[in-house]
Amino acid sequence: MSDWFEHRVARALRADVALGGDERARRRVMDRVRRAAAEGHPVRRRSEPWLRRSRNSIVGLSLAAGIGGLSTLSAVVPDARREVAGLSSVVIGDSVVSTLHDTLRLVRLMFDAPDARRVAVAGDFNRWDVDATPLARDSRSHRWSVTLAVRSGDHRYAFVVDGTRWVPDPRAGRSVRGDDGRIYSLLSVSRTAN
Amino acid sequence: MSDMSDRDIIQRVLEGDVESFSHLVDRHYARCARVALRILGNREDAEEAIQDAFLRAYNALGDYEDRERFSAWLTRILVNQCRTVLARTKRRDALFADLDLQRLAFISSMESDDAVWPELEHVLDRLPAEQREAIVLKYADDLTYEEMSRITGAGESALKMRVQRAFARLRALLQEVHSV
Repeated sequence: MSDWFEHRVARALRADVALGGDERARRRVMDRVRRAAAEGHPVRRRSEPWLRRSRNSIVGLSLAAGIGGLSTLSAVVPDARREVAGLSSVVIGDSVVSTLHDTLRLVRLMFDAPDARRVAVAGDFNRWDVDATPLARDSRSHRWSVTLAVRSGDHRYAFVVDGTRWVPDPRAGRSVRGDDGRIYSLLSVSRTAN
Repeated sequence: MSDMSDRDIIQRVLEGDVESFSHLVDRHYARCARVALRILGNREDAEEAIQDAFLRAYNALGDYEDRERFSAWLTRILVNQCRTVLARTKRRDALFADLDLQRLAFISSMESDDAVWPELEHVLDRLPAEQREAIVLKYADDLTYEEMSRITGAGESALKMRVQRAFARLRALLQEVHSV
């Protein structure tokens, strides 16, 4: 098979083609995209790039502190009032932080969304995984809640309602605009509890 | 906007700026057209596959990770759409029946620009689907074999073999056209 033949085939395949007027065709694409957007925007399901670059994960910190995996912590500390009863705790909005270790705190997040089918929290403490940290719903109050172990410092997070809608924590005292333009709630956990 | 990276545009779209998606459409439409038309061999089907691919890409934009080139990610979606269209329409057989080899040979003799090769466009349709897909991805989309492997699910050595066989088959088919 000659190089000339391969070269000519490649050149022909690389040549542009027109499909029914490219501009009109592109407009038709956007018409469909706008209709889809009216039903809901896509949401990022993976971690943000700047988070992927982060070397420290909360899991690593948990292991370093000799505490189990994060997913079991809400079962270990199922009742927020037990946390409040801890020797040194701080309250952030309705969120309760208890001293667990020099670098880790237990944080209980609560969210009122009576019509939601599922609520999760995504933040830097779980690498923005919208499936990793679901909140549990109280059958009487319909309040959603979860207990997390987080290291001291500032943490960004938001609630993800029904897998698609990102909502800042109404109880959080502060919020910041992330690199991606979204508004995130800010959870400040001090090294020494107040 | 033209100097923004695909990643930056995607970020805007994910922030809710739907119109920014049009820049991705503008930037990648011609490439998608090259790929889809040469896989499907039919303009209507190609446009349908491209529209569906862009729509699926928009809906799945939250899943895109920038470790992969956006163009390769979009091509993967497009190839799946082309396969769906191919399976549904089976246009290949219909086009084969319509092939007028004498007319093509005449057009070819009048053509001075070797980037335009009408017989090739038609005989592509006579390649086995796997070979056609491989040679189109390799040359119409300038993908690496590694990227092609991720898109098609086939191994790199198998893809290289398909491309080689596609060349051999095309050569035979084109000789057939010229001998008419």
